[in-house]
Order: sequence, then C-alpha cells, then structure tokens
Amino acid sequence: MSEVLESLFVLGTSHHATPLEVRERFALTQSQALNLQKLLHQHEGIRECLVLNTCNRLEIYGIADCIERVEEIRGLFCDKQKVSEELFSQYAYCHSNLAMLQHVLEVSAGLDSQMVGETEILGQLKQTYAAAHDADCTGKVLNRLFEKSFQAAKEARTQTGITRGQVSIGNVVVDLASRIFGKLNGSRVLLLGSGEVSEKTAQALKSRGVGDITVSSRTFENAHKLAHSLGGAAIHFEDFTAQLEHFDIIISSTAAPNTLLHKEVIALTMKQRPERPCFLIDLAMPRDVDPAVEEVENVYLYNLDDLSSIANENLEARKAEIENAREILRKHAWNLWLQLRRRELMLKA
Amino acid sequence: MFNEITITDGSAFKVAAAVYGGAFLFALVVLLMRRAYSRTIMFALLCGGFLIQTLALNLRGAEIKACPLGNPFEIAQFLAWSLVLLFFIIGPTFRLRLLGGFTAGLATILSAGSFIIPSWDRAYPPGIFGGNHWIELHAALAIFSYGFFAILSLVSIMFLIQQHGLKTKQFKGIYRYLPSLQQLDLMAKRLLLTGVIVLTASLAFGAVFWVSNFELVPVFKLTTTCLIWLGYLTVFILRIQKKLVTRRHAIATIALFILAMTSLWPVQSARETETITEGLPTQVER
Repeated sequence: MSEVLESLFVLGTSHHATPLEVRERFALTQSQALNLQKLLHQHEGIRECLVLNTCNRLEIYGIADCIERVEEIRGLFCDKQKVSEELFSQYAYCHSNLAMLQHVLEVSAGLDSQMVGETEILGQLKQTYAAAHDADCTGKVLNRLFEKSFQAAKEARTQTGITRGQVSIGNVVVDLASRIFGKLNGSRVLLLGSGEVSEKTAQALKSRGVGDITVSSRTFENAHKLAHSLGGAAIHFEDFTAQLEHFDIIISSTAAPNTLLHKEVIALTMKQRPERPCFLIDLAMPRDVDPAVEEVENVYLYNLDDLSSIANENLEARKAEIENAREILRKHAWNLWLQLRRRELMLKA
Repeated sequence: MFNEITITDGSAFKVAAAVYGGAFLFALVVLLMRRAYSRTIMFALLCGGFLIQTLALNLRGAEIKACPLGNPFEIAQFLAWSLVLLFFIIGPTFRLRLLGGFTAGLATILSAGSFIIPSWDRAYPPGIFGGNHWIELHAALAIFSYGFFAILSLVSIMFLIQQHGLKTKQFKGIYRYLPSLQQLDLMAKRLLLTGVIVLTASLAFGAVFWVSNFELVPVFKLTTTCLIWLGYLTVFILRIQKKLVTRRHAIATIALFILAMTSLWPVQSARETETITEGLPTQVER
C-alpha cells in the first residue's frame, strides 16, 4: 500500500539549531513567503503546500508525490533566497509522514517554541493557514492536518501545565499586579525612565486593562513620546516624587547611578494612602529603588532578578510538562495518520 | 426496611461534619497537586453538609422546642452552620477563590471539634430562653454575627497568606489561587461592618430583657459580650479612620475571633452556674 501513497513533508529551519545570524539570511518577508508558497504549489508533484514564516522559524509544509521532491524544494528555495544549498542543508531539518504530523502538532502546541507553551505561534500558524487556504494552496490533506493540529494544541494546553505561569517579564509583572490589585482597570501606573523593558511591561499592563499610564524621564521629550505611544501623560522628572501617592504601580528603569526612591520617601507616600498597596518594579541596573523600601507596610518591591527568577521557575515548570503534552500529541498524530490513510486522502492520483 | 432507619440529631451532626471534612480534604489534596479545585464540587459538598446540618439542628430544635443554643456543642454547630450559610451568600456573589476550601476547613474544626469533648453536649433544662422570643433572637443573632466574624477571620487569614507570598516572592502553589489583596481587604471591611451591625442588633435585643431582668443576666457573660462587641467596634472605627489597615487589621480581626471563641466557654459556664443555682426544672434527656 505504501507505494501508492503520497508523502507528507516538512522542510525547515528553526531557532533550535540555527543561530540568529543564519536565520536572518533565510528570513522571508510576508510577500516573499506568499510568492514562494504559490511557486511551490505550481511545482510539479506538489499537491498542497504552506510556508510558515516567523522570526524563529521558516518551514515549508506540503504533500508531494514522492519524498524526493523535498530536494527540489530545497534547491528552489536556495535559488530564490540566494543562499548556498550547503549552508541551508547544514541547519535544515526534514520530517516526513508520521514524524511530520508529530512536528506540526508540537509546533501548534508551542512545544517547539523558544518559550515553551507560548501561544503566539498558534496565532501565527492559524493566520498562515488561513492565507494558504484562501490562496487554494492547501487541500483536503493539509486542511484536515492543520485543523486537527489546532484542536490537539488546545487539548495539550488544557490537559497539561505547558502554559501555566508567565515566562516573560511583562506578563510576570501583570500576574503580580493582579495578585495585589485584582482587576487592573482602576490602577494608575507611573513609568520612571523610558527604557525598552519598562515600555514592554507597561504595554503588558495596558493590555490587561490599565488605562492610566504616566511617564516621567529626565528628557521630557522622551517621556512625552513614550506617553503618547502608550496613550498616557508625561510629567517632569523633578515633580514625580511629589505625586507618588497617586500611583499604584511604579516601574522604574532609569540610568541613574544612584538610588532614586528611598525608604523615607516611600514611607511618607504610604502614609497618604494607607489602604492602597503600592507595587514597585525596579528594572534598572544599578537599582533605582532602595531595597529597604520592602520593609514599608503595604509596599511590594520586585527587581529584575526577582522577576527573572519567577519567569525561569515558570519556564522550568513548563518544561517538566513537555513529555505529558508530547504524549497527548503523539496519540493525535497517530489517529490523524490512520485517518488520512483510511480515507485514502493520500493516495496518488 | 426504610421505616427501620431512624435519623437522630447526633448522627446527622456526625454526617454533616464528615461531609465538611471531605470537602476540606478535597480542597487540600487538589491544592497539594498544585491545581485549582472545582468550585462546583466544593459548592455541592458544602451544600450537602449544610443540608444535613440543617436537618440535625431542626431535630435538636424540635426536641428542646427552641433554637439549639443551650450548650457549647450546639453553639459550635450553629456557628459552623452560620459560617457555611454566609459562604453561600458571599462565595458566589464575590467569587473569592479558595474561600470554599477555607470555609470547609473551619466548618470541619467547629462541627467535628465539638464532638471531642463529650461533656460539651450535656443535657440542659428545657425552655432555656424562658419562652422569651427576644432572648432567643438575641442568642441566634449573636451566634450569627460570630458567623460573620468567623468568615472575616478566614478572609483575614487568606489576606495574610497572600501578603506573605508577595512579600517573600512566592509564586507557586496556594498563592497562585488566592484572591487579590485588594479583593480580600475590601471583603474584610464589608464583613466587619455587617458583623458589627448584627452583633449590635443582637445586644440591643438582649438589652430589652436585661433592663427588666437585671439580676438574671450573669455579670461575667454581660461583661465579656460587651468587651467583644467593643473590640470589634473599635477595630471598625479605626479601620474607617484608616488607622488600622491591611496586615494589622487582619491580625486584629483574627485575634478578636479567637478571643470571642475562647470566651464562649466561660460565658456558657457562667450561664449554666446561674441556671443551676436558680434550680430550674428537669433536664432534657439526650
């Protein structure tokens, strides 16, 4: 029976084995990826195909009349991308049939991602699939395959702990803020400094309902610019100490060589707001907030090390769940493989 | 066959305590497995325990022809019942995570713990309230207000655990499932206010009797009850004035509840001594 079957395949490179500088050479723009997909679909012997192009991976999924077609695809890609076949072969991997099914299921579930269990990849995969479907590049086999992979990903996520706990600094802060304030819509945030990490953290808080963000930086223009992008307001750096009592969450990431917030200042602030807790996030190096601030009642101080260690602990916990999730996906892959064969969807025309 | 099965108040109290214990164990095991327990299962278990306990209290009430609040055993059972009843009102409305598990824990301690000392369930003369419904209402409201203070102390314990987790940077286990500090703090404030109102009402009803029957009310009982009320009132006033907030407020409410609980025994003893010296009639057989 195997002689008359077509071959499912995936050819690609990912963050696992390919360094960033090499991935940059393979990277495609969105339109390049769509063109490549169209080109491959028109290629002789390739019935269906899909090109997944993210910052961490470039993968070509398809069904071909024989597995040898993968070599032609490799050549075609390298020609278009103007990279040597040796270089591509050095980093690329290729899986076929059941192994390919297992791979796509693991990608959907986020098991193959840099941050195990992240959900962004599922969104990207759904988007890519929708585009490939609209362009008629996918058919009965890949449609079934991707739709099943989305279901399997959901099951693996709900039945195991691969998505449990946050693994990015921004989301860890959001989790901690939720443990202090519950719903964040009423919380007021002050950003001290306009660093990238604090901006991302503020964005994560904003995505969870925080509507009131104020930025203060030594350079008022920078503060104004960041405040504008976050839909907030800017205040002069000289004024922020006097206004501390109005803020529930204070994120500090200035380049100041000395401590900005001392215990006495925070203690005085808390006297003016004894019922409302204050969440201080010190993302600066050297630190902006005096560690003794932690002793003040109703104040919760977290620095970069604290947040990183929480993120790493969560990541380790997720990793411990990989095998359980993989087992669930293995069953799905096997069932899908049997379905595709039983329904003669992979028979050669 | 079913006609032969007779349900006594004692056996119903035991079954109710076992169901509460089961609910608490269920919460404990699931939390030890680092998962969140099903609220539906918890609600169903507490519901089962509550219904059985209601039946038991009814049977006991029918026997003594009054609200069963005549000895420490009955007070503990009534308190556990009030606590679970309040959970049914507060739990689904404010959706405080883990409150069901904590409620099950305290209900188990109160209902099962009251069996530990058999002398607590001693027989007492019938008509403990002397047919005075105001006194019965006073006693029921007083214990019901203790139900508020019991659930308040649970909320305060949850607050202290969550705060400890945040201060010591703990992220796993129970800390993940506890409600936020603000939610717990707000709930504590509301419970304190309601508890103080109910206790004040209870004392007001009691005062109606006390004014006309001054000599019948034991001084020790009166002093202790008034001190407990004064304690809660002081905590409430300080809270309103923002002088006793968050951690210290939580500790104060837990300490007051422990004090209130430990005072129940001497208060009860004082009442019984008084009753014996007055030589009230025959005791109810149990």
